[in-house]
Amino acid sequence: MMEGILRKAKRTAEQGNEVYLEVAREDFKKSCVFLYEKKRAFLRLMFAADERETGGEFKIYSVFSVPGKDRFYIVVLPVEEGSPTFPSITSSIPAAHWYEREIRDMFGLVPEGHPDPRRLIFHDSFPADSHPLRKDWSLSGMDKKEWGEGTAGKVPYRFMEVEGEGIYEIPVGPVHAGIIEPGHFRFSAVGETIFFLEPRLFYTHKGTEKHFEKIGFPEGVRLSERVSGTSSFSHSAAYCMAVEKAMGIEISENAKAARTLLLEFERLYNHIGDIGNMCAGTGFAVGYAKGALVKEELMQLNERITGHRYLRGMNVIGGVSKDIFRHRDDILSTAERATREYKEMMKLILGTVSHVERLENTGILSREIALKLGVTGVAARASGVNDDIRKSHPHLLYDKLLFEPHTMAKGDVFARMMIRAEEAECSLSMIDALLESNYRGDLTVGVRAIPPYASALGYAETPRGSVFYWVMSDKEGRPLRVKLRSPSFCNWPAVPFAVHGNIVPDFPLCNKSFNLSYSGCDM
Amino acid sequence: MEYLQFIIIIIFSPLIQGLIKKLKANMQGRVGPGVLQPYYDLIRLLRKDMVVSRVTSWIFKATPYIVFASTVSAAMIIPIITTRSSFGMMGDVIAVIYLFAAGRFFMALAGLDAGTAFGGEGSSREMTVSILVEPMMMLSIFTAAISAGSTNVARIAETQNLFYSPPHILALSAFVVAVVAETGRIPVDNPDTHLELTMIHEGMLLEYSGRYLALMEWAHYMKQMLLFTLAADIFFPIGIDSGGAPALIAASFGIYLCKMFLMACAMALIESARVKLRFFQLPSLLGGAFVLAFLSLLTYIMIGK
Repeated sequence: MMEGILRKAKRTAEQGNEVYLEVAREDFKKSCVFLYEKKRAFLRLMFAADERETGGEFKIYSVFSVPGKDRFYIVVLPVEEGSPTFPSITSSIPAAHWYEREIRDMFGLVPEGHPDPRRLIFHDSFPADSHPLRKDWSLSGMDKKEWGEGTAGKVPYRFMEVEGEGIYEIPVGPVHAGIIEPGHFRFSAVGETIFFLEPRLFYTHKGTEKHFEKIGFPEGVRLSERVSGTSSFSHSAAYCMAVEKAMGIEISENAKAARTLLLEFERLYNHIGDIGNMCAGTGFAVGYAKGALVKEELMQLNERITGHRYLRGMNVIGGVSKDIFRHRDDILSTAERATREYKEMMKLILGTVSHVERLENTGILSREIALKLGVTGVAARASGVNDDIRKSHPHLLYDKLLFEPHTMAKGDVFARMMIRAEEAECSLSMIDALLESNYRGDLTVGVRAIPPYASALGYAETPRGSVFYWVMSDKEGRPLRVKLRSPSFCNWPAVPFAVHGNIVPDFPLCNKSFNLSYSGCDM
Repeated sequence: MEYLQFIIIIIFSPLIQGLIKKLKANMQGRVGPGVLQPYYDLIRLLRKDMVVSRVTSWIFKATPYIVFASTVSAAMIIPIITTRSSFGMMGDVIAVIYLFAAGRFFMALAGLDAGTAFGGEGSSREMTVSILVEPMMMLSIFTAAISAGSTNVARIAETQNLFYSPPHILALSAFVVAVVAETGRIPVDNPDTHLELTMIHEGMLLEYSGRYLALMEWAHYMKQMLLFTLAADIFFPIGIDSGGAPALIAASFGIYLCKMFLMACAMALIESARVKLRFFQLPSLLGGAFVLAFLSLLTYIMIGK
């Protein structure tokens, strides 16, 4: 099946479950489309790397994998500095549209044939033709000042406009009434009905990927924990996995069990908190309070067993920093209490007909759109896309645990709530199962130096969806490139499709049902 | 003495608001702020500087005073602890409703005045809701007015008997829905939300700050207490004084505070038990209440008291 592509590839390399296929420019799009259309592979992430110090060229990587098969096909296209363009695949694979714009902003490599010529990451005051992820990037003092002030409109951004009788625009944000992160939403509405929505994000772009290159691999763990607060542990677990793979070390069974357990803890407290938060969207204060209560109990447990409510400081390269299994009794009793309270809460929520009624048929994301945009996680599964990184690419102890990804067909807010509810229950039973046996091995294994120009992919399923880290070392074994792709980056483009045709006052509810992170998207 | 009874509304209305908030918090498993918090909020706002948008006209600046004044005028008409009301002769329930409407009209204009999207949205939604609420409120009061033979609130309060007939119960149900809608509470509006896109009443106030906001908020508290008082006068007038003896007035005052406490409990209960309705389903709720009010009038005419 794959022979066609393999034959065309100039160079192939296989390491673990990653297959790198370096192709010529004219074969790039064909190979990607072949994987996407014929093999039904998902575009997991797409990024560029400045590898001019090795071969004098940039490289574009697009990572595909077929759900159910633990194998990543990574199509690699070298792009010469002299002609910084590459063929855009967005017209055939819509999921690539943000990745390609990101590559254009960050590296100045132009996707030829991309339907949207606007910048994605940078706002108006950022200078044109300045591409921060190039190794030789610098900013003049004046540019830096104007960028900091954010006033100069160097490259104006044009919002899409909807014309017609009775259509008016509602600009919302980036400063909101609640304490939430910044994001601008431009609604075009007919009366109360949303006709079109264009989100403008990246207000808090922190240059995280550039920052990863400046610090060493071990210090990067602390940075990856801070990309997105509520997914701290998943992010650092994926990052550690990538670095450990690049080092060629395998962590102990004990550390694997601890990571698996804490990943499920993170999923559990997030899902329960999210279900509660959706109640705030309908003004169901009792449900909201109940969700916050159960979440708080779980977060206090986090603090007792790891020393941090958001599970930070647990992951280190080579294992975990603390032995959480000595808190077995505490975990079991808290989990039991949480299960009881969580069940009560779901009974209350599902018994409140007026609440359920608001959720049903609101914010429908069709399976077709979810597939095309490469939506991930809860949002994808609620729209009938059976994709869970824990199942597709078993890592840690997930191949030993019995569970099935839950999917629902409808794709509305209610489906997203029920997927969370089912996954929370699943997490609870996984936690019980993990605590039944004893695990061998030390908390950490010895760390080795990373060989020059080694690369590896790390991944995890956060409460929102899949997160990917791709790391590559330079000739001294320090980070040359760290690419991170958070689930929010994939799912934000889907929100406008889900709210189309809904009424404006229902937007917060739709938005909460996705519960996307601004920080995790802006990076 | 009886001319000054409206001062009770001015003084106690923030307390009622604080009480509802506290009760709601307790029902939802939270501690909640103290019952005096609305007073602190008002004092804080009165001391604060104002930020007024440059594009606003005189309407924006006049509205807080108009809203506050119209609400105080309504308070003067409604009998609170004695039916020998302040301005008894002109104390007409229709006047009360239209005083509220005048305040709302200016509030909606002020929402539009600054030209922000949320203000306009709030105004448009408020008007949509009020079109449905006003006639329903009038109808539900008319049942009582017909049985009293007068639209004067004091006369209605004096002539109500203590036994409830079907028309009264129907009218009361409709009136409760009207009170919920007029005070901007769940299931019609969510007073505690920070989500601008879902706001109705709060949306119109978003541009206000400092002293103006204090006036608007205070007027809103008063309107809420007035509606409770109106409900007490029309449907539970038991214990209200009509003579003017100091001892009786004192007793009436005690009974009045009990009634207000019960109304606050009822509101907190409704808000904790219900979920905010989808905006386009409001007509079903309000239309349903209108039918109840209409039926109450019809049953009254057909079967009498």
